[in-house]
Amino acid sequence: MPWLGIDLVEVVGDSMAPALRPGDLVLAERLTYRVRPPRRGEVVLVADPRFPDRELIKRVAAVGDDGVDLRGENAAASTDSRTFGPVPATSIRWRAIARSWPPRRAGWL
Amino acid sequence: MMKIRFPRPSRRVHAHCDIPCGIYDPEQARIEAESCLRIMEKFGHSEDEAFRTRCLAVKEERAELVKHHLDVLWHDFFKPEHLERFPQLHDTFWQATKQASAVKQTTDPAAARRLLDLIDTIDGMWIAAGGPGTTRVSGRPGAGA
Repeated sequence: MPWLGIDLVEVVGDSMAPALRPGDLVLAERLTYRVRPPRRGEVVLVADPRFPDRELIKRVAAVGDDGVDLRGENAAASTDSRTFGPVPATSIRWRAIARSWPPRRAGWL
Repeated sequence: MMKIRFPRPSRRVHAHCDIPCGIYDPEQARIEAESCLRIMEKFGHSEDEAFRTRCLAVKEERAELVKHHLDVLWHDFFKPEHLERFPQLHDTFWQATKQASAVKQTTDPAAARRLLDLIDTIDGMWIAAGGPGTTRVSGRPGAGA
């Protein structure tokens, strides 16, 4: 349940390892991208361009005229903009800001 | 007693990969190509017709597996940024898979040796791309990484 533009989400899959591992809980907010577009290095949530029902979590590798280039942290095991191309900046609403679980690895992203 | 409840996630987000295993190694193709080489040598030294026929059948199968393993590496492991680093990537894979076809057509071991050389060239690119550290599970006895 999103609350005041803040939400807690669970990570599925390996493509953001080692920063994010399956089962990690991540705090996300949707205020930043109302004010400015995503920047390089930020971790974002975005609908998968190929399967819009699925939401992806990826890192912004570059922001260009043709959109935002997304990469998994673990490039060898990630399907990202190298496969589906850049995504429109306007399609990105949520920014992942911190890993809240497990507590031992809690911290800013 | 007060009950402490950690907030529960509202949805799942996918750190997605089309190929969940992420395990790649040109060694897989090389072993099949080595089989082809050894079969060709045994074919040359045998006069038993039944054995020679069997050699041809097995060689056909193994050469097909070489093509399959090379295709998986080419399509799934290597990415556009590797092509920038290794401009000869596509040509090498094309030559190697064509050479696997050549191995099917002949019983000359030289064809299999040429195939091994091409696979080793691909192996060099896989190593330079960080393959051994990222696409194999560490801890195998006797393995470097």
